[in-house]
Amino acid sequence: MTLRTRHLGGWAVLLAAALVCSLGTWSYAQARSDRTLSYAKARDAALAQGKRHLATLNSLDGKDATSVTTGLRAWRDSSTGPLHDQLKRSSATDARTLTTAGDTARGKVTSAALTALDDRTGTAELIATVDVRVTPRTGTPGIQRKRFTATLARTGHGWKVKALTAMRAGDGG
Amino acid sequence: MNERTALESKPVEDEDRADDAEPDSQESPEGPEGTDGTDEHGRRPRWPRILGALLTVALLATGGALFAEGQQLRDTPATANLALTDAEATTRVTGDVSNALGRIFSYGPDATALTKDAARQVLAGKALQQYAALFGQVEKQAADQKLTLTTHVVRAGVTRLTGSSAHLLVFLDQVYERRGRPATTASAQLSVTAELRDGQWRIVEIGSI
Repeated sequence: MTLRTRHLGGWAVLLAAALVCSLGTWSYAQARSDRTLSYAKARDAALAQGKRHLATLNSLDGKDATSVTTGLRAWRDSSTGPLHDQLKRSSATDARTLTTAGDTARGKVTSAALTALDDRTGTAELIATVDVRVTPRTGTPGIQRKRFTATLARTGHGWKVKALTAMRAGDGG
Repeated sequence: MNERTALESKPVEDEDRADDAEPDSQESPEGPEGTDGTDEHGRRPRWPRILGALLTVALLATGGALFAEGQQLRDTPATANLALTDAEATTRVTGDVSNALGRIFSYGPDATALTKDAARQVLAGKALQQYAALFGQVEKQAADQKLTLTTHVVRAGVTRLTGSSAHLLVFLDQVYERRGRPATTASAQLSVTAELRDGQWRIVEIGSI
């Protein structure tokens, strides 16, 4: 009798453990497949990476030809699609003009927000204000305050800028 | 006829199968149980119990680890922020705040009272105090210079949103018109904090960027 109860007890414990395991698995699976959760994570990733790329796209070291080439490569790395193509096409002329000008720009995103996000297609709309500190080869540095709207697209290497528009007053329509 | 033969032959087939299966199915569960101790009274081998204990521990550990992992996935700052994930609330706060900004930053030389009323409706806390301090100046300027200001929101994005508070980045275009002069357009960027009070989003803080 005692043997039998102990036997049954053992099975009960094992069953309870199996139940705990399946509950844990279920809870984990639920979290993994949570659409809202993955959407929220995509939003935060798009915003963080978009900010970083926008700062890059507003920065360039115009010291010499090498630094300009490096800067232009960084621009291409931050962009994708139409913007990437455009930057690639104009890279030779850009390099020449920027090296001749010799200005150095350092962009800093002061505030940014996503206005839209499509998790499925991997596109997002970003708005941001950027302070660009421009140091001319000769002369005193100044800060340009700019505001942008950017379209982001998800690529194999994270979110990148697909289109970028500087919005001046009255541009919004 | 065909159907009937099919029906007739079915039970026979089933019976055959049952006969075939029975000896096997009876033997297989008894096999392990036999060694488990049901047959051997008194002397039970230790290993099933050890195996059972190990299995129990493994199951508990796996379950616990997965549960913890799942909780960790859920409890990120990402989920606490409802911006865009709650599409309806996001649209609502964007709309309310855009509306409010358009109203409080638009006035004509004779219509400052309207704007003042609007401010009392849509502002609260620190923003209302700031606005009140500023508006005396604005009122005078509007009357003296026959100034009309029209503000509209061109873009607004929610950076943080919870059930009762929100933080937004707003792009504005402002058109200044002085009587007899061409209008000028200026842009402004604001960082806005809003709170949900009595079912309406009210702006509690405005910062210029």
